[in-house]
Amino acid sequence: MEEKKYDSSAIQVLEGLEAVRKRPGMYIGTTSSRGLHHLVWEIVDNAIDEALAGYCSHIEVIVGSENTITVKDDGRGIPVDIHPKTGKSTVETVYTVLHAGGKFGGGGYKVSGGLHGVGASVVNALSSWLEVRVYKDGNVYFQKYSNGGHPEGQLTVIEECSKERTGTTVVFKPDPEIFTETTVYDYEILKTRLRELAFLNKGLRISLYDEREVDKKDSFYYEGGLKEYVTMLNASKHSIHDTIIDVEGVDKDISLEVALQYNETYNSSIYSFVNNITTPEGGTHEDGVRRALTRILNKYAVSNNMLKNNDDSLTGDDVREGLTMIISIKHPNPQFEGQTKTKLGNAEVRGVADKIFSAAFERFLMEHPDEAKIIVEKGMTASRARVAAKKARELTRRKGDLDITNFYGKLSDCKSKDASESEIFLVEGDSAGGSAIKGRNSITQAILPLRGKILNVEKARLDRALSNEEIRTIITAFGTGIGDDFDLNKLRYHKIIIMTDADVDGSHIRVLLLTLFYRFFRPIVEAGHVYAAQPPLFVIKHGKTIKYVLNEQERDEYLATLAPNTKYEIARMKGLGEMDAEELNETTMDIEKRVLRQITVDDAMLADETFSKLMGEEVEPRRNFIEENAVYVENLDV
Amino acid sequence: MDRLEKNNIVNEIRNSFLEYSMSVIVARALPDLRDGLKPVHRRILYSMYESGYTPDKPHKKSAKTVGEVMGNYHPHGDSSIYEAMVRMAQDFSYRYMLVDGHGNFGNIEGYGAAAMRYTESRLSKISLELLRNINKNTVDFAPNFDETTKEPTVLPSRFPNILVNGTMGIAVGMATNIPPHNLGEVIDGCIAYIDNPDIDVDGLMQYIKGPDFPTGATILGNSGIKKAYETGRGSITIRSKARIEEEKGKHYIIIDEVPYGINTLDLKNKVADLVHNKVIDGIADYHTDLKDGIKITITLKKDANPQVVLNNLYKHTAFQNNFGIIFLMLDQGVPKTLGLKDIISKYVDYQKAIIIRRTKFRGIKDCT
Repeated sequence: MEEKKYDSSAIQVLEGLEAVRKRPGMYIGTTSSRGLHHLVWEIVDNAIDEALAGYCSHIEVIVGSENTITVKDDGRGIPVDIHPKTGKSTVETVYTVLHAGGKFGGGGYKVSGGLHGVGASVVNALSSWLEVRVYKDGNVYFQKYSNGGHPEGQLTVIEECSKERTGTTVVFKPDPEIFTETTVYDYEILKTRLRELAFLNKGLRISLYDEREVDKKDSFYYEGGLKEYVTMLNASKHSIHDTIIDVEGVDKDISLEVALQYNETYNSSIYSFVNNITTPEGGTHEDGVRRALTRILNKYAVSNNMLKNNDDSLTGDDVREGLTMIISIKHPNPQFEGQTKTKLGNAEVRGVADKIFSAAFERFLMEHPDEAKIIVEKGMTASRARVAAKKARELTRRKGDLDITNFYGKLSDCKSKDASESEIFLVEGDSAGGSAIKGRNSITQAILPLRGKILNVEKARLDRALSNEEIRTIITAFGTGIGDDFDLNKLRYHKIIIMTDADVDGSHIRVLLLTLFYRFFRPIVEAGHVYAAQPPLFVIKHGKTIKYVLNEQERDEYLATLAPNTKYEIARMKGLGEMDAEELNETTMDIEKRVLRQITVDDAMLADETFSKLMGEEVEPRRNFIEENAVYVENLDV
Repeated sequence: MDRLEKNNIVNEIRNSFLEYSMSVIVARALPDLRDGLKPVHRRILYSMYESGYTPDKPHKKSAKTVGEVMGNYHPHGDSSIYEAMVRMAQDFSYRYMLVDGHGNFGNIEGYGAAAMRYTESRLSKISLELLRNINKNTVDFAPNFDETTKEPTVLPSRFPNILVNGTMGIAVGMATNIPPHNLGEVIDGCIAYIDNPDIDVDGLMQYIKGPDFPTGATILGNSGIKKAYETGRGSITIRSKARIEEEKGKHYIIIDEVPYGINTLDLKNKVADLVHNKVIDGIADYHTDLKDGIKITITLKKDANPQVVLNNLYKHTAFQNNFGIIFLMLDQGVPKTLGLKDIISKYVDYQKAIIIRRTKFRGIKDCT
């Protein structure tokens, strides 16, 4: 009788998991590398929930030699009693019933990080096999599932353990039939996110081990939490005051933590989180804090006579220049909106965040007049630069179509006015400007030749960048405006294609352009409008034939097609200028034949850190980066 | 439609940046320990040697050399090649000039050389010592950029050019600044090392007293030199050589040696600034004469105390300057900051290898 009941319910359950296997994208977004890593976050989130509830202090993640994942926590362990609704052990319920995770047991969790919302059962469904061990009351409970969540027997005690030992250990092997693209875990991705989680949950230790390599491991533990996070983010920048301001408070079941510090750069790096999940689109928590920051700094500046009555007050942009700030809230019932569901929508949070932050921040300024002065002065400098930049910006505004061709003669615009089909090629003028203009499809392709290396904007504020002619020309051509007037909808080309030589100076120019785009036109990059052209790397000459190939693989494939004993010569391409207009078009520009590389932003914080490190004022982090990575360089130019 | 690949911006800039920075470090801005040359200099010297522009023949148009270097070995801009060549022909830039120039090669006032279609050049005599035995299989050759010919990866460098001429260069994340030295002193130091490989820096400094700049001047104190020789890094202060003369009751400060690397026009403007802003009092006139070396004459006002004025000039202008020594160079292709003894011992090892290769080459020839 008991057996039978188990069987039938099992069928019903497996239907649920079968749906996950049929449409994995609906549950984990994608079956690419990102989806593969998502499985880890699901299990780790469950452990973090235990930590948030105060029961777990150490989480370990182990990448096995066969790309299995083990997640160990020292929480209470998943309940092992029979779940009243399913009639099965709670462990089995969690691992085989959709959306069961986090909501079991007496009262469950007040705040849950499981915003991915799908739970452990999805991981089970998408694994070749999964084993769970629960350490509880001196027993080790064990159950194994295979082929997408089929239990191999029931939850049973397999051995005894110390009464003090509690927690859950999960091991799983992602199913290669689902993850067809890759089943290899990327250590750096795991490391970045686990470190982030350790920062966001102070006092929690998270360790990562990679058994695929000897002695590869990291352990993250931050007593200072967000404060240490800010320290890390500012490591490759010059901070302008020593104390990291940190704020903590709880109101209406919402807890808020903020840490901030100003540095010498001209960009702001603000990152916000809700229940440990990043909110790149911001939302009400970020709005509240930003609003309070601007208001309190203006108030302080006025009451201390730094701003006179007839001075313009500082804008939000002014007070955010050079600001590194992390905002983290824990909310029992967050609502998300926005394109990617990564923007917090709960209206009440705005007031709560404002109230907690403004009180603490105001007190900080009062108690630290020296640092307050530095911060206000930074904002006032930014304000003056903003006014100067505004004047310079007027110059970049297009008044009519003729304007651009008369005033900025270098742009060879395309005929089409439809941004969705228009492209602009940014090309090294010394090298291929002429042939690009000659070989292009002038209906949809615009060419903007650049002279030499453009300014590194990581080390320059907007007003100085705008005094640079190349940059002004780029801004004008794009049509979006910049700074306060930036409007993505006005972008005149939906493909911005960086076409530089395949040599190291070409690489450098590409880095400089990407720095410009990321710092001044970030929405353009985030929307996926920026591409790198991929000119051929080799030219093969035999008889009268000249064949251009994109990479080593294509080269070898082509050589294999040649008749034996064919005499041929291969040369590595150096500059686009080596090709004539027709060849350049055929290989690199023609929409039917070319290969473009789209530049994407997966992790804004990492991108920010990387730009600061590689392009910023501080030399030390750059040298360290070069020394650590020197061996990986593939394309050395001598 | 487009074939699309995707790349995360972080990977994109990390890889591109590494490509660029590593290339600048190992193949552009830093000298090789063995011959003290950056690729552009090595290519210029080798190309001139290949073309036969040697000291026993007449000078050749510089444009010709630049064209040959660019076309055969160095696929970069012509101006960077010409500028490197011009410096090698300037007596205020190189302690021992590697190129013998004819025509206007610029001066220490900051005036540049005439265009390359005007000036003429050939190898200097000492350059032949860098190239000596190059055709005796003493060094490795590698294909040039378009694989149409070969170029030496290093020159035999029969004298320790890395120390003798020094170099400066800014790479990415690191920079080098090696002062020039006296040829005789450095060779004596090498011999002392060969005789006694256990010799220490103090011992070497019996022979190599310190840097020897083409523009002369005096280095204040020994500790900066010693620190640099021991650790590869150190800072020295260079002071102009000045004397005070009196004629008909008027005092003059005569300066005939200035710190290395300065531009005398900037110097004059700086002094003018200081006089104008009344930072320094007592200067009536300033005159530069470059005819036979440098001679700067500063005429003082009657009531001025010459020593006070001179001290002020040292304090406020580049008449006294700091030089941060960084012995950063490529050792087996890896950038390293090395002390004097390491440099000498590695150089001597290299010379041994050259001699062994030359001997083997001759032996093979004799047998066949």
